This record gives sequence, C-alpha cells and structure tokens, in this order.
Amino acid sequence: MLDTVRQIETPEGVSLRLHAAGATARAHAWLIDFALRALAAFFLLAVLGMLGSAGAGLGMLVLFAAFWIYGVACEVWMDGQTVGKRMMNLRVVNADGTPVTLLPSVIRNLLRTVDALPGIYGIGLVCCLIDPYSRRIGDIVAGTMVIHVLQRGALGQIPNEPAEPPSTPLRLEEQEALVAFAERGRNLHEARQRELGDLLEPLTGRMGNAGLRKLLAHANWLLGRP
Amino acid sequence: MKQERFVALHDAGWSEVESWMRGSGRQAWSSALAEQGLDFPSQYRRICQHLAMARARGYSHDVTDRLQRIVDRGHRLLYRPPAPRWHRIGEFIVAGFPRLVRREWKAMVIAAALLYLPTLICLLLIHFRPDVAGMIFSGQALDRFEQMYNPTRDRMGRTSGTDVAMFGFYVLNNVGIAFRTFAAGLFFGVGAIYVLVTNGIMFGGIAGHLDAIGYGGPFWRFVAAHSSFELTAIVIAGGAGLRLGYTLLAPGRMRRGDALREAGGVGAQLVLGAFLMLVVAAFIEAFWSSVAAFPDVVKFGSAALLWLLVIAWLAFGGRRRRSGD
Repeated sequence: MLDTVRQIETPEGVSLRLHAAGATARAHAWLIDFALRALAAFFLLAVLGMLGSAGAGLGMLVLFAAFWIYGVACEVWMDGQTVGKRMMNLRVVNADGTPVTLLPSVIRNLLRTVDALPGIYGIGLVCCLIDPYSRRIGDIVAGTMVIHVLQRGALGQIPNEPAEPPSTPLRLEEQEALVAFAERGRNLHEARQRELGDLLEPLTGRMGNAGLRKLLAHANWLLGRP
Repeated sequence: MKQERFVALHDAGWSEVESWMRGSGRQAWSSALAEQGLDFPSQYRRICQHLAMARARGYSHDVTDRLQRIVDRGHRLLYRPPAPRWHRIGEFIVAGFPRLVRREWKAMVIAAALLYLPTLICLLLIHFRPDVAGMIFSGQALDRFEQMYNPTRDRMGRTSGTDVAMFGFYVLNNVGIAFRTFAAGLFFGVGAIYVLVTNGIMFGGIAGHLDAIGYGGPFWRFVAAHSSFELTAIVIAGGAGLRLGYTLLAPGRMRRGDALREAGGVGAQLVLGAFLMLVVAAFIEAFWSSVAAFPDVVKFGSAALLWLLVIAWLAFGGRRRRSGD
C-alpha cells in the first residue's frame, strides 16, 4: 500500500500508527526554527555588543548554541519537539515510537551538516523523497523518524436518523465503508454526496436525497442507535 | 455489541484517562504516579483491548481514532525512556569515554597518523626548505602568523581581542570543525580524512615557518599546553568519522543500516567527549596559553602535565571496573 504510516506493535498487541512527516511540513518547521534562532541571536548579539570585546566572546557562544545545541536541547527536553516542530505538530521519535533520547538526537543533529550539504538541504531532500518514511540521512543513522502528531479528529458526529436495518446483511468492510461515509459525508458538497449515494441504489432502492437518508438510517442502525 | 452501547459503556473511563494524561505531561512522572498513576498501566491496557475490539468489530473512525490517540499517548508515557541522570555524565567522562576510545583504537591510530604525519612532513620540509611555507600559505596569512607570535607581545596567539572573546571564538570555531569532521566522515571517510590532513598541513606549516624565522619560542610556548586537549579531541572526532565512513563501506556481519546505526551511536558518544575536551582546550587556550609572562619552565611544565593527564586519562580511565559496560 502506498502509505507513510509505520505500524509498530506494542506489547499490548495493538499497533501504534506513526504518520511520517514529509519534506514540506519539516521545511516549514525548520524555517520557523531558523527565524526564531536568528531573531534570538540577533537580539542577544545586539545586547552583548554593548559589552565590548568580552561581549563578542559571549556572542560567539550564543551563536554556537543557536547553531549546534538548540536542536538537541529542544528535542531532548521538549518531548522530541523544537518550537517549530511544535507549531507544525511534528515530533521526533525513536524507532519504537517513544520521544527521541539524547544520543539519537545528537546524531541526527550532527549529521544535519551532511543533509544540508549542497546548498539548502539537497541531500536531505533527496533522501527524504526516496525513503518510505521520509527520513533524511541523519534520521536513518540515528534510527529516528519525524511524525505528525495527530490532532483531535475533525470528523463530525453522524447525523441522527431513525435507525433502520439494511435489507441484506452487510459484510464487515461494507459496514465500515457505510459508517465512514456517514461520518465524512458532510465534508462533501451535496451533489457529490448524492452521486456517491446513488451508487448504492441496489441497497437502498432509492435515488437522490431519499437514498442518502436511507443510508444514514442504516448507519445509525449499525451504530446501535434507536 | 453495537458501537453506541460500547461507547456509552466505556466513555467515562476513556475521558478519565484522557484528562489524566493531559495533566501528566506537565508534571514530573513521580508525582503523577503518586496521585493516580498507579492505576494507569491497567487502565491503559484495558484501553488497548478496547482499541483491538473496536478495530475488529469495524467501529467508526470517530471511536477508533480517539482510542488510537489515547494508546499513542499512553505508550509514550508508559514506555518513555528514563530521564537522563546527571551522575551518568561524570561516569561517562571518567570511565565510559576513555573505554570507548580504547575500544576504537584502530580508528584512533589511523586518525592520529592522518593528522600527525602531514604535520611532521611539513615541519621537516620547511625546516630544510623554508620557501615551502610560501607555497602553503599566502603572504598575508604568513604576516598574520608572524604578528600573532611576535616575541615582543605580551599576549600570544592572536592579533586582538580579550581572553573571553577568544574563548568564544575557539569554542565556535574548533568545536564546529570537530562536529563537521565527524559528520563528513559519512562520505566513506573522505571528509574526515580531508579535514585531518589539511589541519595537519596547516599546523605543521605554521610551526615550521615560525620556527624557521626564529619565532618558534613563542609559538611552542603558546600551543604546548592546549594542544594536549585540542589535537587529541580532533583525532578522536576524526576517528569517529572514519569509523562511520568505514562502516558504510564494510558493515561486516550486519545489515548496513544496523551497522550504521551502531557506528552512529559510538560516534556520537566519541564526539560528545571530544566536544567537552575542546571546551577545556578553548579555556586553556584563551586564559592560560596566551599569557606570555611566565618563564619557560612554567609554560612547558604545565604543558607536560596536561599531556600526561590526557594520555593517562585515555589510557587508564575506567580500567578497574570490568562490569557495567
């Protein structure tokens, strides 16, 4: 299946689903981080600049921290998220789905210099596009991956409709498809809903809005509503 | 069981765990444990079972997604790696790091050869043919070196700047070089070899040139002390890079990915150690090496002590205890 979800079976026998984050989302996060670091370094350098030569020394320590330490510190202390990643709802995780630990974080941030190499993340981008889980070289060596943090589902509740059993027994996949359609239907415009509903004319025996209502009634019945 | 009934039956339990997990991210694990956390593992496992049931029975995404979110979050809480403990840092510096350096001695020997042989060759070459220095460096650079190590100055090794300023500069510059040396090693070791050899040529070239024009005294007085930590750290970072590149070439009896991951872990530890060494080196370089006022005995005596310290540390650190590696 063409999918970027990596499933990891837990000791409890269910699987975690890690949704690999692609290059675009990660580039966004990187840009946010970059802007943040540049701003912070700029202001600190401006303040330290007033301290003269010793300030310049401290300023270079600030630059060092912004360049080398920021990523590792954020990822280790903030549950695998830099500020940019948090804003983009991304997270760095170890291979087993737990938030990244110190050594893997050090590796992936050191090897950033390799991924960034020809110009702007050339190697990293190519590697990201080839790898099934969008990992750059640093991620592969460190054994980490960047995932999307799932947000509260935007799916709506299924509209209420007096329940009615379907005329023929449905297989499990068919039941799932029907409920999923009822759940997501309202995200589609009405003509499209009707078009999809009409495909099930053999089941409902109706066309158009009447067919849709019938499908909702079946979905309600499948959910066990009165 | 129909979905609605299933949800009605378990909704309260799910909400309880959800709200507890939302709060526990903020507070320390131990205090969370004290309050309600004792129940958490069993609650979590029950929810795992609910998820498995919900999937098997084909419940809607509304339910499965919610349960999946609880499980993802709960897994992170329950199986999160232990927080790093501070005493481990001390243990790593005293025992773990030297042990690791000794274990990777082959890479270290090669890295040392790659750094010191060009140094030696340049040094000897310029000693007998002083004009070679002009081939390695531009005239401008040579002028700058001569200015930095002019015997009449009271601060050596720099053209301007205070101790603190130079400390910051050394950290930014030297640690950056060490980190890049390691990372560049991934290109089959070529990057690490390049950095080591060019640094060797530079160092040998400067030393040879200053020696040839009679500024050797201030130069050796300047570099003797901090070179103990600095050169050794560069060798270690280079060795870690070589190891990484060599693993990519010849993973041995492991899959390439696994071998690379292992080499990455070893390399990251070595580089972290080298990073600490370079901070120490920068400190010595900025605040001690640059002081020209002390007599030779003090300067070279301290340098000898530091070299002995580094060698003894790397050779004997962590030898006593055999277990726990």
